[in-house]
Amino acid sequence: MNAVAAGNGIELFIPKLYDIVWSLIILLILAVFFYKFFMPKFQAIFDERSAKIEGNIQKAQKARDDADEAKKEYEDQLGKARVEASQIRDDARAEASRIVADARNRAETEANQITENAQRSLRSQQQQALVSLKGEVGTLATALAGKILGSQLQDNAVQSSMIDSIIADAGKGESDGQKA
Amino acid sequence: MLEAIGSGTISLAMAKPSELPSVDDFLPPEILFQGTPFAMNRIILVRFVAMVVILLVLGITAARAKLIPSRWQGAIEWVIEFIRDSVVYDTLGEVRGKRYVPMITTIFLTILVFNLCGIIPGMNIAATATITMPLVFALWTFFQYMITGIREQGVWGYFKAELFPAGVPWPLYIILTPIQLLEMIVVKPASLTIRLFANMVAGHLLVAVSLAFAQFYVIEATNKLLALAGIGWFALGFALTAFEIFVAALQAYIFAILSTVYISMSYPEED
Repeated sequence: MNAVAAGNGIELFIPKLYDIVWSLIILLILAVFFYKFFMPKFQAIFDERSAKIEGNIQKAQKARDDADEAKKEYEDQLGKARVEASQIRDDARAEASRIVADARNRAETEANQITENAQRSLRSQQQQALVSLKGEVGTLATALAGKILGSQLQDNAVQSSMIDSIIADAGKGESDGQKA
Repeated sequence: MLEAIGSGTISLAMAKPSELPSVDDFLPPEILFQGTPFAMNRIILVRFVAMVVILLVLGITAARAKLIPSRWQGAIEWVIEFIRDSVVYDTLGEVRGKRYVPMITTIFLTILVFNLCGIIPGMNIAATATITMPLVFALWTFFQYMITGIREQGVWGYFKAELFPAGVPWPLYIILTPIQLLEMIVVKPASLTIRLFANMVAGHLLVAVSLAFAQFYVIEATNKLLALAGIGWFALGFALTAFEIFVAALQAYIFAILSTVYISMSYPEED
């Protein structure tokens, strides 16, 4: 392989001046490009992207917090409403039973009143009947006795005292009968 | 090995291609501004073309960069993030590494594109295939780690930590200190330079020799049976070209990560 070995191999390892010059110039241009344009540009893109992602995450977090809060509020209200409803139900039940009790009381009172009135009027009518009966019985008895005794009972005083004692007996007998 | 394969085939065929690649490929004649410090040869022109390609492609990409990346921008961003996270931050950490990200990105992307010129038809030679370009990159790394060391530990502190490592019995310094000095000033930049340069030279020679033999057997040789051997050589050249793409990326990565490691060694050791 003479061809491969051709030329002085050591020359490969000796930098040439113009090569150094151009290598430095090219590297400098590329370094400036990478340092001043390429890397900052992409760094800005990366930063912006991560800021955006972070912002979105925060936004989502906030939305979730808001939703949690709203849910809590809603649940609180629901609970409150439930308590209120049961309160209202209890109140209504109490009110209803009170109304029923009132009505019953009133009805009882009225019934008592009616009974009492009826009894009172019965009693007074009885009394009236008794009084009128007393008068009639007296008259009837007088007439009957007059008829029986005829003229024997002419004396007025004897006549009326006898009638009274008869009526008193009759009245006592009647009240005894009523008690029994 | 290359020589063995080459000479074996040649003696078998009793002929050889009229034109074989040689080290002269890496010492092309000056074609512009001959004899001045601004003389240009073929490799420097390749380098210029590569530079313009980088400026145009990455410049347009950066100028059009949007918050929601296109596929191409996504690919470029992947490379940037790979260098930043996997090369710089993994070695130096985010706090120290931040200021070196542009430098390592420049080194990686430039070397990658320059290396890939070696397999671009028409260029056919890596822009890093003279000793100077790798050397310039290596010197950049050299100055960067020297400056970092002096900034972080002071001149005396840095040289003391480098040249007189703690915990070594003092008589050993007699042999250790010169070795350390040599390593700091010569070995690190030279190894960076030669590794990259030699890879590019070897890659070019392998691909070019394979393809030269393929050309010779298929087209130039009078015995048409030998065309079969030419197909074999072409397949080898094809495989080596693919391998060169891999080597281009690998060498750019190695250069970038070693630069980062050398810089990180300039920081005081934490215990």
